[in-house]
Amino acid sequence: MIKGLFKKPKNDLEPSVSGRIEKPAEVNIPHELCTVCPGCKKSVFSSDLQENDYVCPNCGKHLRLNARQRIHMIADPESFQELWADMAGSDPLGFPEYEEKLRAAELASREMESVVTGTARIGKKPTALFVMEPAFMMGSMGTVTGEKIARLFEYAAEKELPVVGFTASGGARMQEGMLSLMQMAKTSGAVKRFSDRGGFYLAVLTDPTTGGVTASFAMEADVIAAEPDALICFAGPRVIEQTIRQKLPPGLGRAESLLKNGFIDKIVPRSEQKKFIARMLRAHRRIRKEA
Amino acid sequence: MFQKILIANRGEIAVRIIRACKDMGISTVAVYSEADSEALHVGLADESICIGKAPAADSYLNMQAILSAAAVTHAQAIHPGYGFLAESAKFASLCEQCSISFIGPQSGHISAMGDKDNARKTMKKMGLPVVPGSESVEDLQEAFDWAGKVGYPLLIKARAGGGGRGIRLVAEESGFESAFLDASREASTSFGDAGLYIEKYMEQVRHIEVQILADAYGKVVCLGERDCSMQRRKQKVLEESPAVGLPEETRKNMQRDAIRAAKKIGYINAGTLEFLVDADGHHYFMEMNTRLQVEHPVTEMVTGIDLVKWQIRIAAGVPLSFDQRSVRPSGHSIECRINAENPALDFRPSAGTVDFLHIPGGPRVRFDTALYPGCTVPPFYDSLLGKLIVHANAREEAVRKMQAALAELVISGVDTNIELHIDILAGEAFRNGVYTTGYLESRNQQ
Repeated sequence: MIKGLFKKPKNDLEPSVSGRIEKPAEVNIPHELCTVCPGCKKSVFSSDLQENDYVCPNCGKHLRLNARQRIHMIADPESFQELWADMAGSDPLGFPEYEEKLRAAELASREMESVVTGTARIGKKPTALFVMEPAFMMGSMGTVTGEKIARLFEYAAEKELPVVGFTASGGARMQEGMLSLMQMAKTSGAVKRFSDRGGFYLAVLTDPTTGGVTASFAMEADVIAAEPDALICFAGPRVIEQTIRQKLPPGLGRAESLLKNGFIDKIVPRSEQKKFIARMLRAHRRIRKEA
Repeated sequence: MFQKILIANRGEIAVRIIRACKDMGISTVAVYSEADSEALHVGLADESICIGKAPAADSYLNMQAILSAAAVTHAQAIHPGYGFLAESAKFASLCEQCSISFIGPQSGHISAMGDKDNARKTMKKMGLPVVPGSESVEDLQEAFDWAGKVGYPLLIKARAGGGGRGIRLVAEESGFESAFLDASREASTSFGDAGLYIEKYMEQVRHIEVQILADAYGKVVCLGERDCSMQRRKQKVLEESPAVGLPEETRKNMQRDAIRAAKKIGYINAGTLEFLVDADGHHYFMEMNTRLQVEHPVTEMVTGIDLVKWQIRIAAGVPLSFDQRSVRPSGHSIECRINAENPALDFRPSAGTVDFLHIPGGPRVRFDTALYPGCTVPPFYDSLLGKLIVHANAREEAVRKMQAALAELVISGVDTNIELHIDILAGEAFRNGVYTTGYLESRNQQ
């Protein structure tokens, strides 16, 4: 009713500076201004996400982080020293199109492999740190991934450092066949030797941690934490459903159900992770000193 | 000059801004919530877009919807009015990123002055007198130590606060702890920032603010002051300009301080510096509001300068066409805020349909409102129905004019505070022009 009630006045546009009518810039909403949350499907300002450690302010969904973002979030400022940064994968089996896939993954993630390893301080406590990179072939474990992780445990044992690891992986890398499956044994051996020397290992399982990584070093930590709603499994729910031809109960394979069934120790939201890890490192140091 | 402006507000201020645009030949885009589809600002604008459900968080505070509306309608600028997003540095910054002109200061100035503790520090550094107080504190013991230094009675204020929220008056030491924890909780829930600071509570003071306009070329002019001491629970009820009996020296010092501060921080657009003035005429900086004020019309009436038009021109890069010498306030102006509330029922807000409306007229009587006969006053937003403003050569004449105008103003269908204003104007303290911020409350207790 109210719309269309009033006439539009016949006024010309008031002139600008020195009588010229200047044309202001066209409205341009930059593409990267907003991100659609994969959880609630609502659009969120990217700056809000960044400030909130990439946790959706609407629904609390923990979005995937790349390895460098995670290191920035967890390690004390400028404390991260990378180890074996130039180790890069090759194509040991001559698997079709694997070389191209590796190059594409390098471009997508700006990393040489699916894990970043090094040392850092977390809450002033020195530690060895590995962070898997989901943007590199979904963090799949090839020979170089396994090698870097095994080396990190050996290095930490020698330097008497604890190990903190963030896992994110689709599992063993099929393009490297049996060689990639061997990494499960190799990393497990390294964790065992590290543990036998009294080393402390804390893993944070992030979305998704699956396959060979779940079946090896991810589940071998002294303290296993996970991010809320992270998918943690050996075979994914869809694969299981197709195999057994039955619908699975909702939430199966998610962090909350793993906690309920005793596979993990704690679910730690991203905002509390640094504090949690620092507390665990402090506690371990005290125990070790007392021993 | 902008060809099209989006007004990200509602009510009387949206109407006020649309009118300025119409004078200037600028097309307007109104945004509205589902509760406001029949609101006056929607009818007056050339285009209108619904931006969400009735609660402000879903509509008038919904930055994505507002930016989308600007993009869809090709609006080149957004005027935020007051309240809602007017002091959101984030919104101003998003506008900057989208090449939309935010009609107001730059986001950096909004955030610098929005942090009240930081604003005090900045002004103190520039040599402005500030109310004695603490730095920002979050820890109870630390706050308690500061309280001892500042002395009682004192105010606990939220660092990120505004609009009178997050403030606690503490009369003596025994009440400090519970008030501090209370304020901290309120600050944390209302502003998402638990930071507080402590300020000496000054009794028998006047709240006087100074209006400035600054263009993009470093020119700053001061448009005089407004006395906003007539307050109820820290909310302004009635404002006037000039402030009665303000020593000429204090006035000059306040204006000089305001201009100097604005120049030093490189401020652009309209802004207001709020001061407390004690009985001896000493002034103390309280805070700076980086937006248009509700009570801006009293300044417009005495100076003859249209603040909203100048906000738009400054945002479009037009230099100020006048200087300090040509600003010559004349006469006296009073504004009464007409709210939908019932003073007899502890100012309970009122909503409903306006079934009869009579707006007073005559020379130099102005009623800024979005009301029309048959319109609905929704319960979702602030209770301001309109602002009755008068202007006369002398204060006494202005008071008479206001009394007559109030008597002629009829709004039926919702409760209003018109009677309260009639009472205030008839009071002796108001007649003498000598009243302080505690006046209304002490009067009510009698």
